[in-house]
Amino acid sequence: MSDNELVNQQFPVKVEQPGGSGNIFARVFDELTAFCRSRSLFILHYCTGCGAIELPPAMTSRFDMERLGISPMVSPRQADILLITGYVSVKTLKRVILTYEQMGSPKYVIGICSCTVNGGMYWQSYATAKKLNDYMPVDLYIAGCMPRPEAVITGLRQLMENIRRGEANGWQDYYQRYDHYLGHQQRLFGETWQTPTDVIAEAKHYGLFSNETLGEHTKLLQQHQKPLEALEMRLGLDSKDKVEP
Amino acid sequence: MHWAELIAELVLMPLVAFIVGLFMVLMMRKIAAKLQRRVGPPVLQPLYDIVKLFGKKTQTSHGLLHDFGIVMAVGGYVAAETLLPVPGMNGIAEKGGMITLLYLTMIPSLGLALGVGQCANPNGSIGISRALTAMLAYDIPFVIVIAGVAMHFGTTNLVDVVAQQQAGGFESWGAVQMPLLALAGLFALQGMLGKQPFEIYVAPAEIATGPMVEMGGKFLGGLFVMQCFQLYTASVLYVTLFLGGGENWITFLAKSFAVLVVPMSLAFLFPRYRTEDMLAMLWKWPVILGLIGLVFVTN
Repeated sequence: MSDNELVNQQFPVKVEQPGGSGNIFARVFDELTAFCRSRSLFILHYCTGCGAIELPPAMTSRFDMERLGISPMVSPRQADILLITGYVSVKTLKRVILTYEQMGSPKYVIGICSCTVNGGMYWQSYATAKKLNDYMPVDLYIAGCMPRPEAVITGLRQLMENIRRGEANGWQDYYQRYDHYLGHQQRLFGETWQTPTDVIAEAKHYGLFSNETLGEHTKLLQQHQKPLEALEMRLGLDSKDKVEP
Repeated sequence: MHWAELIAELVLMPLVAFIVGLFMVLMMRKIAAKLQRRVGPPVLQPLYDIVKLFGKKTQTSHGLLHDFGIVMAVGGYVAAETLLPVPGMNGIAEKGGMITLLYLTMIPSLGLALGVGQCANPNGSIGISRALTAMLAYDIPFVIVIAGVAMHFGTTNLVDVVAQQQAGGFESWGAVQMPLLALAGLFALQGMLGKQPFEIYVAPAEIATGPMVEMGGKFLGGLFVMQCFQLYTASVLYVTLFLGGGENWITFLAKSFAVLVVPMSLAFLFPRYRTEDMLAMLWKWPVILGLIGLVFVTN
């Protein structure tokens, strides 16, 4: 009997099957939630570039996104999908990352148009982020300059299928490999870049903390990170002690 | 009444209200889709939305009052359902009456104000101040209508109101006896449901859906449940006061859904009013209609 078998006999190892525990009710509940998640998607009205113009026809009478359970929402707290429709400049990308971190998990990102894939026609621009995938996890790309509403709808259907099968897990990747994403963000925005969201604490909360969550870049972040403070409330802004701009 | 029967009714009435409310939300979205020449959402879409929202992994809470506000918003309506007589179930309607119901329908707005207040989001604060202003606007005609109906039937007990209308047949319905008050009631209903042109507190392009701006996950799910209850409560109250309640479930549901078709169809014909315009309009026309209606009320 080898050492390995001896250990297994003394300490029986229960191998966890992918897809949860053996409790059949938990499994049914997970399946139901996954199905409902895939059939009810709220998209965030944060449209960055020219591709946004393809969304109104996809939403309105001709293509009617609501048939698929997809409806627009205006606040990141309510949204499931972040649509990046077109080029993201360095300035916009900061806001996109802030928005993404405020969305509730599970959350999905769709990159629409060629610009999100490789910079597209802004390849030589100094101000455009070329690969969106470096800065945030993209679940699905819809390429084209610009993709037709049919292509947008097809892409969304593909995302729905991925969610139902439990394959759209980009948001978990963001927590598991935060150091990788933060490194790219710091390269673009400078070493003092920070968001109000404590991604590392969230990663621990979801149980998604891995070896790659922390690294040299998060170490750099922790050196200068300030906790989020409540805004100071004051009346009479024209008094002597007003904040200098 | 036997206590076991009472408890069964108290559990069943909100449950029925929720299920009927889901179909009312579906009808609202379908009417919007038809008017815009779309197909609209699938039948179970409202349920998918709610299950998904409660199944979200992140449930960002801004504190105890944020949680409590949503409980109060849904709880206010759950309590209101037990005071609304439906065919075969009276619940505690005999103990309550119109005045209690009037108070209970205000609790959700106040609960929401508490919850949204703790979010400290400026858009939320603007939204909730508008919601309370809207409540101030539609409550004046609403109270006049309630007072008129109570004077006409000589009681504030909803079970008696339904019984009197059903005993007298179609001629004794509130809408036939007091058409002006019924019209004023429809005005108030439009404001109470927050439908255009009175949709001042849910202004997606302007204040990012106002009170809902910081609500995600179970909080938004709670608000979706609240919307089901809200549509049900408003329509059933109108049916009870003016359309003779329900003799059986078929006529009752037909009347309740028919009442809602009016505000929902009107909603997509109008843009949104400004807050002060809403106040001016609701304090002028339905109040004048209601006051003239009060003159003609006979006991």
